[in-house]
Amino acid sequence: MSAPAAPAAPAAAIRLSGVDQVFNEGRQDEVAALSQIDLVVGAGELVSLIGPSGCGKSTLLRVVADLVEPTRGTVQVNGKSPRQARLDQDYGMAFQQAALFEWRSVAGNIELPLELRGVGRGDRRARALELLRLVRLEDFADHRPWQLSGGMQQRVAIARALALQPKLLLMDEPFGALDEMTREHMQAELVRICAETATTVVFVTHSIPEAVFLSERVVVMSARPGRIAAVVDVPLGARDEDTREDPAFFTCITQVREVLRGRAGAGAVAGAPGPAPGADVR
Amino acid sequence: MAVVATLGGRPSRPSARLGRRVLRKVVVLVVAVALLGLLWTGYKSLGRATGDVWPATSIGLPVKTDDTTLPAFTDIVTRPFEPQRAGDDTLLWRTILDAAVFTLKEAVVGFGIGIVLGIGIALVMVSSGWFERGLLPWVIVSQTIPLIALAPIVVAWGHQLEVPGVTWSPWMSVSVIATYLTFFPVAVSGLRGLQSPTRHALDLMATCGATWRQELVKLRFPSALPYLLPALKVAATASVVGAIVGEISAGVAGGLGRLILSYSQQYLSDPARLYCSVIGAGLLGTAFVGMVGAAELLLLRHRPPEAR
Repeated sequence: MSAPAAPAAPAAAIRLSGVDQVFNEGRQDEVAALSQIDLVVGAGELVSLIGPSGCGKSTLLRVVADLVEPTRGTVQVNGKSPRQARLDQDYGMAFQQAALFEWRSVAGNIELPLELRGVGRGDRRARALELLRLVRLEDFADHRPWQLSGGMQQRVAIARALALQPKLLLMDEPFGALDEMTREHMQAELVRICAETATTVVFVTHSIPEAVFLSERVVVMSARPGRIAAVVDVPLGARDEDTREDPAFFTCITQVREVLRGRAGAGAVAGAPGPAPGADVR
Repeated sequence: MAVVATLGGRPSRPSARLGRRVLRKVVVLVVAVALLGLLWTGYKSLGRATGDVWPATSIGLPVKTDDTTLPAFTDIVTRPFEPQRAGDDTLLWRTILDAAVFTLKEAVVGFGIGIVLGIGIALVMVSSGWFERGLLPWVIVSQTIPLIALAPIVVAWGHQLEVPGVTWSPWMSVSVIATYLTFFPVAVSGLRGLQSPTRHALDLMATCGATWRQELVKLRFPSALPYLLPALKVAATASVVGAIVGEISAGVAGGLGRLILSYSQQYLSDPARLYCSVIGAGLLGTAFVGMVGAAELLLLRHRPPEAR
């Protein structure tokens, strides 16, 4: 099931090479957030980015999303510049907070990207209801976001990110604020939704089990400057609740943890050479 | 399962809620007026009985209780239903109402222009940190200029102003003064409101390829409403006060300002009349704020309870 072999060039959803991100370059408060990032994410892949706080994993996602411009290096999203991909709404994004608009109904929130695209009212509504079925909230179309639980709000946010049927989903710790039970449920939902919609996903998290459960490859990053310490393959096959009990699941978790602690030996080391100085691992 | 709807009881229809609120306010008002009447009358009869000193002391009461200083509460209540003045059969309440309508017109025009101006300034400030740093101090300084100093300037400028198709009437100067008091709370809270969207919400709009205009209309304005509407209540009060003071400063006749001024000059001959005109001014401001409050309730009816 895992596809560690580098995908053929045209199939790449994301292609980063030599990306550096330096904030306030040349000033006293200069911060090197990303250094020499090379990463290719194949179409249909589910890849997690994990690392200690401040390792630049969110920044990396924001570079892909064209929310920040990289200082150096090249980025391609769906074979286009990130800016073009953003303007074409090639990707959907979900954040740590659901960021739902409280003055809109649940369906209205999902319709927002369609509205900005100029999709007609009837089509918008139909698409929103379709997505609500996908995230199993069809009974809540006319509720207000604040009437929903945190987990339900995140599902609405995911539905919104999928509104324009993007090929790519960028997720920045979307389940970080949820309790453990809800979180596991949401992970299973995400795996199901991605299988149903054949979407490529880049998922930022600081939870090792979450990264392992969700992805086919886990990109482990180290901090200051943010580098890719290693890429760990997760050959677990199709995920279901039994996966969490699978000894292979724990083996992969251990593998990722060792890389995070800076012990070499796991997976193919990509990008930056040398051991990863990830000291403050949770 | 952990995912459970937390449906805090569905809010009742806004019209029903509005009705209940209004009713409650009316009841509170009636009780308050009755209490005030009792207190007023009690104090007055106390002073009359003791000769304006505290009982069993020689310490004087803070306010004398003769009919000139403190007219009887019942006089104030019945005065509106008597002629405005000798030789004019118009009942006093009618005179006050007409003046209030005149003043309200000035205030509403000033309020409207003030909202447009305030939101305009807030928009300019939110569009760039440069404008914000450059403009905000002047917005604040503008409010330190006393109205009394401003009024003659506005009147003088107004006379020379030549807007095609508009002949400048004195009441317009008063509206300008009301505008001056109105735009400030709108600009300041508008700026805060327009800046209130979270990083995530702004990022979301960017990832949807939203233009600046779309970001304003779909995100920033709706986010600003809970900030703007309370400020509009402040602005509504300020516009009425501005119009009344403006009328006095600019010497405009026909409104409550002039009425209060002339009744205070004739206070000795008819004290209750001044009280009535002052109460009229208070009611006018309250009514205006009430209208804005109703609009607020309507516009924010779908917001989370804590935002209302």
